[in-house]
Amino acid sequence: MKPVIEVQNLSRWYGNVLGLSDVTLQIEPGITGLLGPNGAGKSTFLRLITGQLKPNIGSVWISGQKVRNNYAMFQDLGVCPEQDSFYDELSGWQFLTGLLRLYHLSESEILAKARKALDIVELTPDKDRVIRSYSRGMRQRLKVAQAIAHEPEILILDEPLNGLDPLSRRKIIRLIKSYKEEGKTIVVSSHVLPEIEAMTKRIILIHQGKIFAQGDIHYIRDLIESHPHIISIKCSRPRELVSKFIQHDFVLKVNFIPDDDSLLVETNNRDKFFGLLPSLFVENNIEVFEVTSPDDNLQAVFDYLIGQ
Amino acid sequence: MTQSNVGKLKHLWNSVWDVFHFFFPLVRRARKSKVFYFISFLPVILAGIFKFSQIFTGHPRFEGIYIFSNMIMGFYLQFLILILALFYGTSVCSEELEGKTLTYLTTRPVPKSAIILGKYAAYTTLIALMVVFGLVFAFLILNVDDLLNFSLYKILFRNMAVLVLGLICYTAFFTMIGTFLKRSIMFGLIFSFGWENVIQYFPGSTQRFAIAHYLKSLLPTAQAHEGFAFLLFRLEPTPPALAVLILFLITAGFLILACVIFSWQEYILQD
Repeated sequence: MKPVIEVQNLSRWYGNVLGLSDVTLQIEPGITGLLGPNGAGKSTFLRLITGQLKPNIGSVWISGQKVRNNYAMFQDLGVCPEQDSFYDELSGWQFLTGLLRLYHLSESEILAKARKALDIVELTPDKDRVIRSYSRGMRQRLKVAQAIAHEPEILILDEPLNGLDPLSRRKIIRLIKSYKEEGKTIVVSSHVLPEIEAMTKRIILIHQGKIFAQGDIHYIRDLIESHPHIISIKCSRPRELVSKFIQHDFVLKVNFIPDDDSLLVETNNRDKFFGLLPSLFVENNIEVFEVTSPDDNLQAVFDYLIGQ
Repeated sequence: MTQSNVGKLKHLWNSVWDVFHFFFPLVRRARKSKVFYFISFLPVILAGIFKFSQIFTGHPRFEGIYIFSNMIMGFYLQFLILILALFYGTSVCSEELEGKTLTYLTTRPVPKSAIILGKYAAYTTLIALMVVFGLVFAFLILNVDDLLNFSLYKILFRNMAVLVLGLICYTAFFTMIGTFLKRSIMFGLIFSFGWENVIQYFPGSTQRFAIAHYLKSLLPTAQAHEGFAFLLFRLEPTPPALAVLILFLITAGFLILACVIFSWQEYILQD
């Protein structure tokens, strides 16, 4: 398949800080997930491929065209930026129709496309409210609406699921997947693995400005599965629980924190561990206050993978 | 001119119009505009107070047109148009950066120069309307007892044209400044109330480096004023036609510069 987005030796610094380093890749039609912890360089990469930033080294082509100062390219490109910023004094409808006007469409086309986009993100009932009064989730959906309203062939979505409730998240994921069926190219970034996993199998792992790995999601999943996890448990009788945990070989270490009545358990098999927990609590009549996984985030996984 | 150039110009014009269409309603209802509506209405209030006091005392110390001319020089030319142009001109670019909304504009199929020109046109139109409305009302109130004297209207229209021309020129300058200076307001204040006011008192041709010089050269009462206006005003006027030409050239130059800077400058929106 012919690549839609091509990036060659792309590098970008912010003064002495490295934003992106020597990235070369090709993105084909379909959904490509850009996965990395906060500050990994995802937004820098997306801003570079949409011409918002100038690369220090390297070049970017979209559909064979250079991107920087090539405004015509945006006829077929939709961008959902990461920042939660709007013209707050406008209503959702005014915002959308105003931006659609910049595509030089007829008035009837503008209205039809704005209606369609608002319907898709389910903002039609709130379209006449000023954006200032929108909730975080509504603002996020409006951002997605402005990116899809002109029905582009290429979509660049920077953390589009941020701040959405589970239902809206599922709807946006379904929408993004439907674009794939239409043969469009979608690049979507996130720092949450399950979000990317729900949309695509094709991912790019980015960390500290470098492409750490790219390919099928199963490869990443396997890496993560083998990563020891730390789970924090706050309960009524933590000492009793410790004696039960150490009988299992997938429990590597248990730290008891007396001041807090909690335990930090390290396991190399998260699924088995979570399978065991409910029965342990019930059989021993232990009251549970909190179960959290403090290092169950991408940063910890990346740190583990790169051997920190 | 080749056909492709004509096509590009047509596209630029359409884009400027579309950007204008988006921003004019937006700036009209912006919070800062409400403050400036009030400020630009101040001369009307002052004119009302003056006229009422004149009616009640029954002693017209000054003619309405005399007060009006002083208002033009003391309030409009040396304060209002500078402040309006400064706050609206610099915000053409800076409010997109501070509000982090620039991405919405630069990811549309419109040239970057159209963004600058469209916003500039929208903002200049609004502030010109503010000034014109205030000016006309103040004029009518001050000359309410002489409204059939049509020679006065000539003075009104000439003053109005000078102020609008001033807004066009100053806003272009501040738009250009706003595309590359982070503290453009501070610079603008120094320029407006330092440079523009001080340089006109310098002897010789130095005063020709101030925009105010060309505006004052066009004022109908410029050479025959009295009273405190004398303190605000010194002039070796440039011929009117040349002054208009220079003002238009300055405007075009600043706008071209603003478009070039905005197209090539990289703006990093902080997360």
